[in-house]
Amino acid sequence: MKTIKIQTENMYLHYGSKMALNNISISIPENKVTALIGPSGCGKSTFLRSLNRMNDLIDSVKIEGNVFIDGINIYDKNIDVVNLRKKVGMVFQKSNPFAKSIFENVAYGPRINGINNKNELTEIVETSLQNAAIWDEVKDRLYDSALGLSGGQQQRLCIARTLAVNPEIILMDEPASALDPISTSKIEELIHELKDKYTIVIVTHNMQQAARVSDYTAFFYIGELIEFDKTKKIYTNPDKKQTEDYITGRFG
Amino acid sequence: MTEMEKYRIFDNELEKLTERVRKMSHLVEEQVSNAILALNSCDMELAQHVIENDNKVDKLDVKIDKLCQKIFALQQPVATDLRYIISSLKINNDLERIGDHAVNIAKRIDGVCDYTYLSKELGIDVVANKTVMMYKDVDQLIKTHNMVLADDIFKNAVEIKENCHQISEKIIEEMMKQKEIIVVATNIMIIVNLLERIAGYSTNIAESITFVVEGIIIKHQKKTENQ
Repeated sequence: MKTIKIQTENMYLHYGSKMALNNISISIPENKVTALIGPSGCGKSTFLRSLNRMNDLIDSVKIEGNVFIDGINIYDKNIDVVNLRKKVGMVFQKSNPFAKSIFENVAYGPRINGINNKNELTEIVETSLQNAAIWDEVKDRLYDSALGLSGGQQQRLCIARTLAVNPEIILMDEPASALDPISTSKIEELIHELKDKYTIVIVTHNMQQAARVSDYTAFFYIGELIEFDKTKKIYTNPDKKQTEDYITGRFG
Repeated sequence: MTEMEKYRIFDNELEKLTERVRKMSHLVEEQVSNAILALNSCDMELAQHVIENDNKVDKLDVKIDKLCQKIFALQQPVATDLRYIISSLKINNDLERIGDHAVNIAKRIDGVCDYTYLSKELGIDVVANKTVMMYKDVDQLIKTHNMVLADDIFKNAVEIKENCHQISEKIIEEMMKQKEIIVVATNIMIIVNLLERIAGYSTNIAESITFVVEGIIIKHQKKTENQ
């Protein structure tokens, strides 16, 4: 039986008076890739950011309902948000490496978590870069600036940086939308490999990418979760007409 | 369409596919009807016409295959569109096979016409006419997706297959009694087998339409969820 990693119950999110998420209840399984799809403004990125409380950074945001990770409500008062974000890493649309060396980009997280032993850091950096499928491309230039890498390499470096703090969940917000097809393919293969160890939630506007990389797909529309099911089901025989119309390009 | 829905360039391709599959089905209906008419009336001219017309079916078969390939490659269809194109490809294949069987029947007519009494006694005309009627339902089902017709096709195909088995047993009995009819009886046996195959392909087509309409795979089993 599949284990549920993330669960929301009757979750509402408002930006000021505007409702962005309307009564979202979903159970996201562990060690699977779940894709969030829907037209712009449907709430999928808002939902993604609510899973590691990135929305806390916006003053007007108000959240009701429950968001559980491993059965613990992450919006409880006693939750340490820094620890939460260590456990729930995030990769953004635009790769955003620090203006530091490749090594320092990956070592940054572990270092601020108190790991200063050089050997230990070196091991973490190597493992993270290997797991992000970029090690072979950067192993001979670890101390060069990360900004000299290509867009696709920078994105994989950012994934390595996320992996370095040993998360359990990785949130990805359109991680390949700015990349060429070869880099996109590498990211997609990487996602496939990472799901053995991590639970991945990915927002993508690329419907075929969602179909290729995910095990489950959630379709959002105007702040509501319209349908959530196995990707295979959504893309061959969805239950809801709105889902059908969206994925076949009949509206949106 | 609701105001949120939009017309897609892709819809032109789907309309083209629908039109071609319907045309194919209509062509095959003519082939089957004419082959059976030629069989029942020993009309060798009509039989020859069926044989010569097969190239039209073959050409359209290739055109439909190519269009489906193009849609898969360029449009990456999903959901209903995906099921529709997969099914169109399969239906096209089944139609082409039915067309071939109509031609094969036409080719055998010459070999049975000297013994029309035997065909009558065995009830070949009855099962052949049933096959024509069933195929008319197939043609309508392809055009309308009216699932009542699918149920009729399933039932009639079973009946035709049973009739064919009974006739085959009778043919064997007759061959054992009258050695001189072995050649003609073999031809009749082949025609009966071809009628049975047409019933089988018609069932396949009804199953494919069920997959398009209901999203379930029912071949080899009772209706079950497509998991």
